[in-house]
Amino acid sequence: MSLALKSPFGIRSKLVFLSSFLLVIPWLGYQYILEMEDVLRRGQEQTVLGTAQALATALNERPELFNEGNYSPATRSQDLYVYPIYSPISLVDGSLSDWGEYQQYEVGYDARDYLRTSLNPVRPYSKEETLQFRTMLGDYNGFLYAYFKVTDDHVVYRDSEALTVHRSDFLQITMLSREGNEVNRYVIAPYEAEPIYPFKVRPDYSEPTYEERIIGQWYDTNNGYAVELRIPMEMLGDRLGFAIFDVDDSVARDVNTVVATYRVDDSELLGSLRLPTPEIDRIVAGMGHNNSRIQVVDRSGRVLLTVGDIQSATGLLISPDPEENQTNKYWLYVQDKILNPLYYRILSKPSNDFIDELYSDVTRDGAHIDSALQGSPMTQFRTLADTETRLLEAAHPIIANNEVMGAVVVDQNMNGLRSFRNQALEQLFNTILAVMVIVVFGLFFFASRISTRIRGLRNQAEGIIDDSGRVQNTIVPSRNSDEIGDLSRSFSNIVERLTQYTKYLENMSSRLSHELRTPVTVVRSSIENLGMAENSEESAVYIERAEEGIKRLNLILTNMSEATRLEQMLQTSEKEKINLCEVVSGCVEGYKLAYTEAKFELDLPNYAIYINGVPEYIAQLLDKLIANAVEFSYKDQPITIYCRALRDHVVLKVTNAGPFLPEEMKDRLFDSMISVRPQEKQNQPHLGMGLHIARLITDFHGGKIRAENRPDREGVIVSVVIPLYYNK
Amino acid sequence: MSRRIAIVEDEAAIRENYADVLRKQGYEVQTYANRKDAMSAFDIRLPNLAIIDIGLENEIDGGFTLCQSLRSLSDTLPIIFLTARDNDFDTVSGLRMGADDYLTKDISLPHLTARIAALFRRLDVIDQPPSPENLLQRGKLSLDIGRLTVQWDGQAIPLTVTEFWMVHALAKYPGHVKSRQVLMQESKIFVDGSTITSHIKRIRKKFMQLDADFDCIETVYGMGYRWNVEAAPTH
Repeated sequence: MSLALKSPFGIRSKLVFLSSFLLVIPWLGYQYILEMEDVLRRGQEQTVLGTAQALATALNERPELFNEGNYSPATRSQDLYVYPIYSPISLVDGSLSDWGEYQQYEVGYDARDYLRTSLNPVRPYSKEETLQFRTMLGDYNGFLYAYFKVTDDHVVYRDSEALTVHRSDFLQITMLSREGNEVNRYVIAPYEAEPIYPFKVRPDYSEPTYEERIIGQWYDTNNGYAVELRIPMEMLGDRLGFAIFDVDDSVARDVNTVVATYRVDDSELLGSLRLPTPEIDRIVAGMGHNNSRIQVVDRSGRVLLTVGDIQSATGLLISPDPEENQTNKYWLYVQDKILNPLYYRILSKPSNDFIDELYSDVTRDGAHIDSALQGSPMTQFRTLADTETRLLEAAHPIIANNEVMGAVVVDQNMNGLRSFRNQALEQLFNTILAVMVIVVFGLFFFASRISTRIRGLRNQAEGIIDDSGRVQNTIVPSRNSDEIGDLSRSFSNIVERLTQYTKYLENMSSRLSHELRTPVTVVRSSIENLGMAENSEESAVYIERAEEGIKRLNLILTNMSEATRLEQMLQTSEKEKINLCEVVSGCVEGYKLAYTEAKFELDLPNYAIYINGVPEYIAQLLDKLIANAVEFSYKDQPITIYCRALRDHVVLKVTNAGPFLPEEMKDRLFDSMISVRPQEKQNQPHLGMGLHIARLITDFHGGKIRAENRPDREGVIVSVVIPLYYNK
Repeated sequence: MSRRIAIVEDEAAIRENYADVLRKQGYEVQTYANRKDAMSAFDIRLPNLAIIDIGLENEIDGGFTLCQSLRSLSDTLPIIFLTARDNDFDTVSGLRMGADDYLTKDISLPHLTARIAALFRRLDVIDQPPSPENLLQRGKLSLDIGRLTVQWDGQAIPLTVTEFWMVHALAKYPGHVKSRQVLMQESKIFVDGSTITSHIKRIRKKFMQLDADFDCIETVYGMGYRWNVEAAPTH
């Protein structure tokens, strides 16, 4: 019916489409949190650099902390440099392999460190002598660890019966006592390769007494021997020296050569023992940063000190969510199994199980350290390849006497920030997901409701008027107070008025006839009375004319109320099974008698067509159709009555040859008081009720009636379609 | 002694016109404009025949009420409805109230007087033995033209005067088709075709109340009706 193009999108899909713009919100949230993360990261950067700066400031102008030789580049020196060791060293494994990479810091001593002592007062250093050793000192867990790799072509052990300790190859350890007022000497002179058995001796090597605190192992190597030992730190003062005494003649047992780290016999010339300085330690510990790893490196990048470990150096204190325990397990399940896998497709979750391969290094390098050692502080980010952990590293120079003494390196891993960001994003996503689900469902429900209501209204509106344009139903006014309810109410109002108006029009003829009947009766009875009383010739003519007029008036009135009367009768009529062919053929016989001047052609099937109907009304319907057909037929042209059963209905057609119907009247032809008769044809009163009655009867039989122009020639076909009778 | 006819009609002109005609016919006529006046007069003395309009002044169905009251006063008093209402529903209601005839105001005055005369005649002859020359016998049907009574298989059928004349017109020449126009003339009424149809229906019903197999009045579609002798094979 409607000419409007059917839009492929309903209100619902439009609203859902519009609500898809909500998807921008999580994107904005994501961007916002990334921005926030960036800000936090800058903050962390500043904090870390600030920490480094603060530490460096604390260490500034204290060159003694970085004393030359203290942590000097590893060259030969009488001062002994003690490297920090981070893993335990085994003394009894008979191998130096567990010293690992620390061995690179060993220092060699050879002929240049030849020492004349009381045991070799006259022997000069002979060119043939090959005695030399390499040593390395480390500090681990309160002990000083040391090893000596001695190259010696003749290893002469102590005679098994000898009581003296200086008549064989031996190692002498000389140290200033803790109090600094005494020089202690210890001699390690084994009988064979064995766990060492050190003796404290007097300067002339007499009165050896066993010193149990120094333990270690002596063993042979390809070109000599090696000694591994450890000394408790509390034994040590701040000066220490080592000397290797070599005896080549196992019979004479005189000391040939002594190679030492110092002037052993002069306590003033003992080398300084350079331990990691507790001063720096204190300063650094005083910074109290346990959320970052702080390292102090010297000019050559050697790590002097490390506080904290990088795994826990998250920079942020993240307390576990206390609500975690209270939320119900279903939600946790959903969160763990569905949401998180989804989120972590776009988020990276760093792990704390990373290994900073640079961490175990004794020296540190990197652009930031280089820059700091050049004198300018710098921060940098480093991503560990295997775990995607990002490290924030800041280095700040330590300056003393306008010279860079070293650098403070502060490292933090970014996992804390990342976890923080991820938590925020998770929460954001959860919230947005919930909001969006609610909003989308809400909108969908809302749109469904609106479109259902509008569709309901439309269906009602379409149902108001039937195919023939008559008002059939009403609209139930909605009780809703919104616009659609308003529309419904105003529709209902319109329809109600329209119905009233239509009823008024439909009943007008009937009411008119009823109202007119009384005055007509007055006139007629008066005239009749007059006719009975007056007998004059003259008046009789007029009376007769008046009676004639009254009769016509009466016919009009009767016709006018015919439709109304029929409608009332239809309401009480009962249908029965009738043979339509029989009725039609009977009627046509009658018409042949009634309309002598017209020709009728009957086209009936040779089978019976049963319909559920009232024969009198069918006959009345035919009466009206035939009367019309006869009236509009050209002279001597046959009127065809055609009747056939077609599937589940019967088609009855009355065709005449005559003038076409006016186009604009076709649909209204069957309405009450519609007539297309030309004025000159009006020799009889016509009110346009005939076809209206035909339609009433067709409707009563559940059928449809239609008038159209003949396609083959000038003429009109009126077709009636009525459902066939069927047994219920 | 002249017969007294009461006319209850609220339209003064019509009332007086009818009264004049009937008075000229020698009847004594009393006219009433509404139900109250009529009833108070009827309580004192009943007329011999009453002509009643249905709509009386402000009472839409005042005529019906009046008819019921009259019928309760007398079983035999002829009552004629004369009204502008021509629909089937009112016709059926009026006849069910016990009226002897239901006429629309289309009826001409001569037809009205003829009907009144017929009703009086029916009253007059009710006690006399039937005269054979007035009897018409068609199978089980016997018509007494003098008394305007009908019997089917020996049992009386209460037909109105209009209905009687219709049956008479049909049964006089069995097998002949009588068009609606003819039936109208014969029964001295002037109505449209569909009213004839409903009259025929009512007649059939009255016969069928006695004999469920009654099918003597046959519809000839498009032409009219005819009386079938019941012996003739139908359908």
